[in-house]
Amino acid sequence: MNIFLRELKSNRKALIIWSVCMFLGVLSGMSKYTTYSSGGAASQALTQLPHSMRALFGMGSFNVSTMSGFFAFLFSYIVLAAAIHAALLGSGIIAKEERDKTTEFLIVKPISRTTVITSKFIAALVNIVVVNIVTLLSSFFLVAAYNKGKDISGEIAVFFLTMFIVQLIFLSLGAFLSAFMKNPKASGSIATSILLGSYVIAKITDLADHLNVLNILSPFKYFSYTDIVNGDGLNTVIVILALLLVAVFSASTYFFYQKRDLNV
Amino acid sequence: MSVIEIKNLTKQFGKARGIIDVNLNVEQGEIFGFIGPNGAGKSTTIRTLLGLIHPTSGSATIFGKSCFDHPEVRKELGYLPSEVFYYDNMRVIDLLKYSASFYKKDCTKRINELAEAMNLDLKKKINDLSFGNKKKVGIVQGLLHEPKLIILDEPTGGLDPLMQQKFFELIREENQKGATVFFSSHILTEVQKMCDRVAFIKEGKIIKLERISTLQENNYKRISLEAKSGISRDAFNLDGVSNFKVKENTAKFIYKGNVNTIIQKIAQLDLLNLSIEEPDLEEIFMHYYEKEG
Repeated sequence: MNIFLRELKSNRKALIIWSVCMFLGVLSGMSKYTTYSSGGAASQALTQLPHSMRALFGMGSFNVSTMSGFFAFLFSYIVLAAAIHAALLGSGIIAKEERDKTTEFLIVKPISRTTVITSKFIAALVNIVVVNIVTLLSSFFLVAAYNKGKDISGEIAVFFLTMFIVQLIFLSLGAFLSAFMKNPKASGSIATSILLGSYVIAKITDLADHLNVLNILSPFKYFSYTDIVNGDGLNTVIVILALLLVAVFSASTYFFYQKRDLNV
Repeated sequence: MSVIEIKNLTKQFGKARGIIDVNLNVEQGEIFGFIGPNGAGKSTTIRTLLGLIHPTSGSATIFGKSCFDHPEVRKELGYLPSEVFYYDNMRVIDLLKYSASFYKKDCTKRINELAEAMNLDLKKKINDLSFGNKKKVGIVQGLLHEPKLIILDEPTGGLDPLMQQKFFELIREENQKGATVFFSSHILTEVQKMCDRVAFIKEGKIIKLERISTLQENNYKRISLEAKSGISRDAFNLDGVSNFKVKENTAKFIYKGNVNTIIQKIAQLDLLNLSIEEPDLEEIFMHYYEKEG
């Protein structure tokens, strides 16, 4: 419990900053909706863009002049930001003790390494839930403020459920890397590199459908936003597989942190 | 029961040497000194013992249990690392309370006593503290739960002489209350003052383990001679003579063995001056150091 509280406290400032940024991100994104949906020359130009250009911008086949299509387009950026937060957080919970050389303080206490990881995981979980909920509420509120068509609250809820799973994947990936690597200080940059790599893969498969098999490497493509927009909900099998991936990363975190020599 | 038991402990860092086949027992209630030059493997031994790094082979236990398999055994352990690093944004008192929260007992009174003894301001932020004051935080942090085993890794660095004395008083008090103390240092005089037994470590190996009293009083003498004529090395070519330094008519050496034997040898010379002194640990240590090296 003490480690959990300590962890929450040490992440508090970062959490506030991230939450504010997520709100501002949604706000600035939504404020452009008026242009996209005005039906004037601008939105016509958008629909006439070649598919590859649309894919690069993240619009893909969404009809960005409707609120659900526009939100799906905006959401691909929201989820990227949330994933970066989760990856840095995950690697940070372990790496920062070794970076700040506080491992020696913590590990000689009468607690197991497993307890340390569990407490830190729970604290990190609280952090990503807060970011998720803040962004969800911002989206509910701001979409309602700009939306003139049908209500899409249900779809937004599903979007943020998928975001939570993506957050979990990158949180556990970051933690796994910092538990596994001999030099955990580098785990944050490795985790974000992997993240950006998988984002690039997502872009590539957007452009070239025949490479869709690569999507397995990109958690950003695990959930079909088109299905969500069309109201088809989530594929249960994929949800289970994604959660399984989280479980594997988490279990490896425990395993390798137990085995590793800590840097002091 | 041995409070610390280290058996055939080896730790290698890849190909680099860590420690090799270290064997040690520290008995309850004693103050045990662990002496060696920088990089000899003192901290490696301690970190393996405390469960920070895994042994390559062999075992290390405190209170009969390994810190890896039984982390809870560390509740009776107080540890002062050689370099003190803490969460910078915390105030001293918050850090100490956080540390105390792991031991499931009320340490407030002890924290205040120790802070007063060490003249430490509890309200300051840790990153505003000087190196010496951080060390004080480390000392309070290591002792606040009244541990039965105190492990100190080069504890006096950064403390001024007055504080060093205070610190040694504190450690002695804890020892008299029943705590076992394991004290690593490269400063020999401080070990000499405090410890019952001492182990010398060099290049990862224990080269000597002995009672301080045996080392100091019984065996070793530092002998300086000044003769009327030149002294030859051959005249003192007998067991127990080491560090023999001769310069024309004067000679200096460390002698270990029967005093009568050496006195008879000395008596054969025509002397101008003679002194026989207790060597300090440093000289004894250098004696091992050079012999082994």
